[in-house]
Amino acid sequence: MTSRSLEAVATPALTDSVEYSAEPVARQPDPVPAEGAYPLAIRAASKRWRKDLPLVLDELNLILEPGTTTWVGGRNGVGKTTMLRVAAGLIDPDSGRAEVWGVTARENRARYQQLVSFLPAGDRGLYARLTVRRQLKFWARIAMVAPALLEATVERSIDTFDLRELADRRVDRMSMGQRQRLRIAMTFLTDPEVVLLDEPLTSLDEEGAVLLQAAVAEVLAREGAVLWCSPSGEHLEMEFDARWTIERGRLVAA
Amino acid sequence: MNNTIAAGHAFLAVMRRDLHVFLSYRTRIVSQVLTSVFSITLFYYVSKLVHVEGFGSPQTYFGFVVVGIALVSIMYSCFSIPELVRQELVAGTFDRLLLSPFGAIRSVIAMTLFPLLYSFVLAALTLGMACALYGLKLHWSTVPLSIPAMGLALLAFLPFGLLFAALTVSIKQGAIGTTWVIALISIVGGLYFPISLLPHWVQTAAKMQPFTPATEVLRHLLVNSPQTTSIQAALIRLVVFAAVLLPLSIFALSSAIRLGQRRGTIIEY
Repeated sequence: MTSRSLEAVATPALTDSVEYSAEPVARQPDPVPAEGAYPLAIRAASKRWRKDLPLVLDELNLILEPGTTTWVGGRNGVGKTTMLRVAAGLIDPDSGRAEVWGVTARENRARYQQLVSFLPAGDRGLYARLTVRRQLKFWARIAMVAPALLEATVERSIDTFDLRELADRRVDRMSMGQRQRLRIAMTFLTDPEVVLLDEPLTSLDEEGAVLLQAAVAEVLAREGAVLWCSPSGEHLEMEFDARWTIERGRLVAA
Repeated sequence: MNNTIAAGHAFLAVMRRDLHVFLSYRTRIVSQVLTSVFSITLFYYVSKLVHVEGFGSPQTYFGFVVVGIALVSIMYSCFSIPELVRQELVAGTFDRLLLSPFGAIRSVIAMTLFPLLYSFVLAALTLGMACALYGLKLHWSTVPLSIPAMGLALLAFLPFGLLFAALTVSIKQGAIGTTWVIALISIVGGLYFPISLLPHWVQTAAKMQPFTPATEVLRHLLVNSPQTTSIQAALIRLVVFAAVLLPLSIFALSSAIRLGQRRGTIIEY
């Protein structure tokens, strides 16, 4: 075990809740060659929220190959959401980087955001007073979808996620599950190449889960990649190409 | 070119969104129009009651103060921007705007469009009601010139809203300081009474912000109030305020967002 790993492990906040052994963190994915370009590459990303807290991400590496799905699990607060936020370009790692096809969000933010779509956990990110259709139109315009394609993009999304009956209903008059379906529709609205999902099954019924799986399959069919995070994978019927959990800031094969 | 068109549509989309949200609260416009009616009624009777030195007649003071009331609504809309940003942070939509190709900076600037346009309409309604209800006489030959002058004034006011929005992104509070800033500007900007009544040092402070020259220019154009300085000098001051403060405020907002991303606090609300 490296000295850096020992420091991280020895902090009280971590030892309170994690059982660990002196086993080295040996199954961390191999460091990725710098010249490699992938749908998504997180390279040696480290993040610490406060100086007196342990690293949430400790030189974490993750590669998503084209046409693959990856599941990352782990207990609450282990760093899954932080990893997704770094991958989405929402927050910066203290060191390391996240790249989409070799480009970071700092280098070309607009392009990065066109390629990546992020579904955060929870039920936020919606305008309560807008209808489903207006919500989708708004986000399509903010995603800078060409005006000529806008109507078709929105109507296709409404059909894909079976939102036709809800299309003219305001969000604050919808159930949690219906809102989650809308949030998922927003995530897949502009055919992103990389989709980052944080606990996407929250509040979703079986029908919604099937629609989500179909949307994931479409991303894979166009050689995109999906990163799916949830605390536990036991309820998932999906086939993942790779399964990891985060332990002490690094990925360990699940 | 395509990106420019798409960005233009995105700007309009933000404005349309705000319009839809505004219209979903059906009584809001009624209450705001009633507030204006009560304000102008109050000052109409105050102007009749008090003989103000420096004004030839009660009607002259009434015209003076109605323009001030109209400008207050515009000032309020500028200072509503931090609260709008705060709402986006709480709703989790700010993250989405930040992660969109349109981006957070342009989104925040676009968020100012609807409140500013709406306040412009409300200001026009206030003046219209003062004319219809209390016989305010507008100086019609120069009223059309007040529209570009108002546009320039908005560009000079806008940085204040953006600077407070940057503060909101950093410290997560929407209304911090805006109420007392509005009160202060109402006094030193000469919105309700001439700044010549204020102590000399306050008059000097009044020249440090764009609300005073904007008020003077618009009063002159709308109700033909006498100018204490030349209209050209007041307009140049507005141009300088806009040219200096607008890039500065956009830089401050951009820096606040970047700092939030680096420290990870951008996700907090």
